[in-house]
Amino acid sequence: MRYFLLSFKAIFMKDIVTEFRSRQVLPTMIVLGMLIIWVFRIASEVASAEVSAIGPIALWVAFLFAGLLAQERSFATEEHQDCIHGLMLAPIDEGTIYLAKLLVNIIMLSIFEMIIVPAAIVAFELTLSRSILTLVGVLMLGNVGLSSVGTLFSAIVQLTRTKGSLLSVMVLAILMPMMIPATFALLAVFGDIPAELIGTGALSVVGSFKSAIMFMVVFDAVFVVACWLLFGFAIKE
Amino acid sequence: MRTILFFLAIGLVVASMCIGLTAGSVQGPKAHPDSPVRNIVYAHVPSSICALLCFCVLLVAAIGYLKTSKESWDRLAIAAAEVGTVFAIVMNATGCIFSHAEWNTWWTPSPRLISAAMLLFLYIVYLILRSSLSGAKQRIARNSSVFAIIAFLNVPMVIISARFMPDIHKASFEFGSNWQRVAFFLGMISTCFLAGLLMWFRTDILSTRARLEREFVN
Repeated sequence: MRYFLLSFKAIFMKDIVTEFRSRQVLPTMIVLGMLIIWVFRIASEVASAEVSAIGPIALWVAFLFAGLLAQERSFATEEHQDCIHGLMLAPIDEGTIYLAKLLVNIIMLSIFEMIIVPAAIVAFELTLSRSILTLVGVLMLGNVGLSSVGTLFSAIVQLTRTKGSLLSVMVLAILMPMMIPATFALLAVFGDIPAELIGTGALSVVGSFKSAIMFMVVFDAVFVVACWLLFGFAIKE
Repeated sequence: MRTILFFLAIGLVVASMCIGLTAGSVQGPKAHPDSPVRNIVYAHVPSSICALLCFCVLLVAAIGYLKTSKESWDRLAIAAAEVGTVFAIVMNATGCIFSHAEWNTWWTPSPRLISAAMLLFLYIVYLILRSSLSGAKQRIARNSSVFAIIAFLNVPMVIISARFMPDIHKASFEFGSNWQRVAFFLGMISTCFLAGLLMWFRTDILSTRARLEREFVN
């Protein structure tokens, strides 16, 4: 266990320090996120729905695309001068590499959200209808789900010719079902879900805020465990 | 032998369609009694079930490959994904036609329709991934197996949404006569048979190609 923590910390610190020294990805993510929020804000003026209902949707779109940028980087940097081989030669479990990279991606997305969420709240004049802790919880659940799949596939797409564009297709296809409860939960946090959603649409099927959270927890748990178990196969030579 | 089996499968599909089309329509609670579009059920339901079954085969092949590293599992995975894509396209296309005729919209974001589209997307992404991976054969096979297993985690959701969630799409329907029951189960058996045959043919082509490549290299 001590060995796990040591190696985990080493990989984690390596990635975090590299990012903070080079500042390659985080600024790009923030600019992309701001642009997405901005475009949605402009488009929302002609939307028939209330402006505040578009805010949470714009937020998820921003998270998805900015998250992809962070995830793609997590193994792209390892390809330089075959760093990945050094990492694999080290006597550590592949799962540890995955978990450390996952944590880096979650932290990157969290920093990104700390900047983007206030911006969206201002731009769309959003008001919280639940406590701020609930908002943080929903965002973290989304973060974990997004990063778990993205980190694993980032290792896979390094072998392909199309790299980043393929990563986005893969991650978005897998995350499609999770985005339904995630959208519901974020809309509920900002009070844009009526007490009773009538109809047969995807959002009304989620039902309540509680079941949306349950769905997200289940998705996160399943994806993290499965990706952790399969990661060894993805990077093996 | 193969040609006979193939034509037998095609014959069964055509027979089930004919019985379905001539022996009247399926009685859905809301549907209009003389709407011919409802006969699409004889193609729609079997192809949806085959699309799901192909995904199960894909999962088994992926796990088999990761466990044994035998190339034959990988060939089965390719075949299952390709055949599954065809049936997923048929499922979505027939679904759209039915939806347009009965609900007056080509597509609506209901859970079952979303999950059907998702199944098709997952198949297509799997095939795109396969074609764009480069490097050693074993590594391509291993990485696509990893994707297939993660993608399969979404399939229970397809099944849950198709059976248990409130939806514009009916979970089941009632047969008006025994002829319809016969047509439906004939369609079911023949489509599954056809899927199995197509997968068999495809794996065979792939193994022949692999053998030729081996001989050519040596």
